[in-house]
Amino acid sequence: MRFRSQRVAYWYFAVALCLFGLQLVMGLLMAAKYLGPDPLLGFLPFDVAKAMHTNLLIVWVLAGFMGGTYYVVAEESRTELYSERLAYIQLAAWTLMGATAIVGYMLGWTAGIKMLEQPYPLKLVIVAVMLLFFFNIFMTIRKAGRWTLTEGVLIAGLVLAALLYLPALLPYENYTVETFYRWWTIHLWVEGVWEMIQGSMLAFLLVRLSGADREVMEKWLYVIVGLVFMAGILGTAHHYYWTGVPGYWLPIGGFFSALEPVALVGMAIYAYAAMRRSGAAHPNTLAVHWTIGSAVFTLFGAGLLGLAHTWPSINKWTHGTLITAMHGHAAFYGAYAMIVLAMISYTRPYLTGNDPARGQSLGFWAFWLQIAGMFGMTLSFATAGIGQVYLERVMGLGYLDTQLKIQIHFMMLVATGGLFAVGVVLYIVDFFRFAPSHITAPNDADGSIQPRGAA
Amino acid sequence: MTKKQSRLFFLISTAVFTLVFLGLTLHSHTRFGELTHADKMSAQVVAGKDVWHHNNCINCHTLLGEGAYYAPDLTKITQQRGEAYLSAFLKDPSKFYSEERHRRLMPDPELSDTEIANVIAFLDWVSQIDNQGWPPRPILVSGATFPGTNTTSASTDSEPAEAQRPASVAAGERLFNDASTACSGCHSIAPGVDLAGPSLAGVGERADRTVAEAGYTGEADTGEGYLRESIVAPSAHIVGGERFSANGISFMPTHYGEKLDSDQIDALVDYLSTLK
Ligand code: HEC
Ligand code: HEC
Ligand code: HEM
Ligand code: HEM
Ligand SMILES: [Fe+2]
Repeated sequence: MRFRSQRVAYWYFAVALCLFGLQLVMGLLMAAKYLGPDPLLGFLPFDVAKAMHTNLLIVWVLAGFMGGTYYVVAEESRTELYSERLAYIQLAAWTLMGATAIVGYMLGWTAGIKMLEQPYPLKLVIVAVMLLFFFNIFMTIRKAGRWTLTEGVLIAGLVLAALLYLPALLPYENYTVETFYRWWTIHLWVEGVWEMIQGSMLAFLLVRLSGADREVMEKWLYVIVGLVFMAGILGTAHHYYWTGVPGYWLPIGGFFSALEPVALVGMAIYAYAAMRRSGAAHPNTLAVHWTIGSAVFTLFGAGLLGLAHTWPSINKWTHGTLITAMHGHAAFYGAYAMIVLAMISYTRPYLTGNDPARGQSLGFWAFWLQIAGMFGMTLSFATAGIGQVYLERVMGLGYLDTQLKIQIHFMMLVATGGLFAVGVVLYIVDFFRFAPSHITAPNDADGSIQPRGAA
Repeated sequence: MTKKQSRLFFLISTAVFTLVFLGLTLHSHTRFGELTHADKMSAQVVAGKDVWHHNNCINCHTLLGEGAYYAPDLTKITQQRGEAYLSAFLKDPSKFYSEERHRRLMPDPELSDTEIANVIAFLDWVSQIDNQGWPPRPILVSGATFPGTNTTSASTDSEPAEAQRPASVAAGERLFNDASTACSGCHSIAPGVDLAGPSLAGVGERADRTVAEAGYTGEADTGEGYLRESIVAPSAHIVGGERFSANGISFMPTHYGEKLDSDQIDALVDYLSTLK
């Protein structure tokens, strides 16, 4: 790393990876509960496990985003962070908030709204942590007096993500209205502003890994984000179809959400073309894999599998089945888990003072096991979901009877989820093999590998 | 394309689509009241929504198709199950389902009687939201509406028998299995398979005996009359003990008398009479 304070990223990543591991424990537990019977029924029933699973996901991915942002901002603005201490305090508050939420769910302390289960006081803590974060980032940039477009898009994505969380703080009497605004947070996050974050992290990584021309990369970043919003904002309506809203949302949701994959195709071409055209052989081939992998897996999980059930006449049958879980996993993993893992893989050698190319075989095992495992999980959810749609939704077999008929797919889920979890454990082991280092040294951005001056 | 142009593209497309989205949102607000029957959103319904949230029901169930996929969708549940049944179920789910059979079970939510009444009122309000007719076909909790599964007998399998049956019997069977009537969501016709209602195996035969019994509390004089009565006035005579009724009120929905016309009820009775 170039600036000493960039090391805060190490601890953000460390926390993120630990919570990632815990998330999988809950995932496997739920898969076992699908198979049943459930010996933990009275102690940790499905609903608690699910709230923990999804909340841990959001908490660790955001920790990854924040850690990554600290690293990026220091490097792009070419300065030490405004306050390292504040960054650690912020991380502590964030971790404590996450831990309290998790324990709270076990004790029945919940807001009971999907993915926004955080009880009100914790929602306020989340807002406070975000404010702390933005303060630190803005002061850093002010101090440096310069910023790049890549970092600008990244920060804008995070600020908008925080703003879009605000509707979750309001009370709603009408359940339909509550649902309407829940999607302002959830959908506009994952199919809007988080894609800004993913896009800018991709740009950051690609410029460094491939030596691609920054001007060109930033120009296309604008186009990609423009496409994301063009389709994604009105695409929100693909969640409105059956919730008690006016009928015009159906064609609007269908049309615009069907356009969403265009931006994702753009992102995949972006990554691929950067690598092809520049052809720089960066020694950290593992980071290259994660970076390209994220763009490609997003196209598969979000683009293709999202498209598969986004049209109203199909969604009518698949809505609220395991088909949704199929898409949710592949999309979330490709877009947000993999981009964070890419950031970690890229920065780790600098954060720990290692040669980027050293000892990568463990890292590659982790990569391929995860890819294979997640692909298998996606297939398991898909086959289970197709069975469910036909038997339960089309033929009219009872829900419980249908679930009994798709047990074999749940076994597949346990097996492939296990494979995936092994990949994650290897990744975590690989990460913690090296202690954090305090040594600063020039890196890619300084031209030691492929020169492209920061703007 | 220059960087300036690409920035312009980003700014304009974002601004335009944000404005359209906000405009439509404002317009939707003028329609929510009507579409969700906000006038029927009583204090009890709102209190029921809180019960729904506090107990994390959404992380097992879906409602309006959103939530978790571990337990059945509840959007239209109050149209398939009567209030009497639902309150008994919520008091103790394990009385109605077994983990051995379905490999999963709803844990006792430990709700008070008021909370139960509230959450049912809430679910009933949800069931009336005008949501483009979703689900396109009712989603049943358990039971089956097609042959070849263990909860119905394979009575429609044999073609010759089918041809000899009167049309009304066939119509009755279709109605019985039709997911919008949903008799089969509560009744199996396989012997010994009790769902939310008792198995109706042999009910055609049993009906004649039932009306003759001393303990019979209804007003029918014939087996067929009893079957008709069972459909339009389930509580007139109650069978099966505390799993199927509470305080003299049957858990079977009471709305069939209004929902079905007399031809349909005749057809159902004809069909049930063939179950010997
Ligand atoms: C731990 C998971 C879980 C939670 C939490 C949960 N349920 Fe259930 N629920 C189930 C399952 C599983 C079934 C299917 C029947 C069974 O196996 O018990 C069910 C069935 C139902 C049914 C349909 C019963 C029938 O026969 O028609 C209703 C109504 C219901 N739940 C309401 C609720 C309400 C209200 C809450 C919140 C207070 C809730 N559930 C919370 C798992 C859950
Ligand atoms: C919510 C579940 C439910 C639904 C739906 C339902 N029933 Fe029932 N039914 C019951 C219960 C519980 C009983 C037992 C208590 C009683 O006697 O009413 C019962 C009893 C009966 C009986 C008397 C059985 C006997 O052995 O004497 C008949 C006949 C019957 N139902 C027919 C029907 C028909 C036909 C339909 C569809 C139009 C239907 N039921 C729908 C729950 C249901
Ligand atoms: C990175 C991007 C994406 C992520 C992380 C993601 C994730 C998710 C998740 C977690 C859900 C379940 C949400 C809930 O029920 O609370 C969901 C639902 C859905 N997604 Fe995506 N998604 C992404 C992109 C897309 C795209 C591009 C499309 C369409 C082309 C799409 C179409 C849908 C649809 C139609 C549903 C609703 C499913 C239902 O009816 O139950 N998604 N997505
Ligand atoms: C060992 C691996 C995993 C297993 C076995 C697993 C299993 C599950 C199960 C059983 C559910 C509940 C679905 C339901 O509501 O019925 C779920 C939900 C979910 N999981 Fe996982 N999971 C795993 C890893 C992951 C990973 C790595 C991610 C993201 C990167 C993820 C994201 C999600 C999301 C977003 C949901 C909510 C989906 C929805 O409600 O539509 N999971 N998972
Ligand atoms: Fe969406």
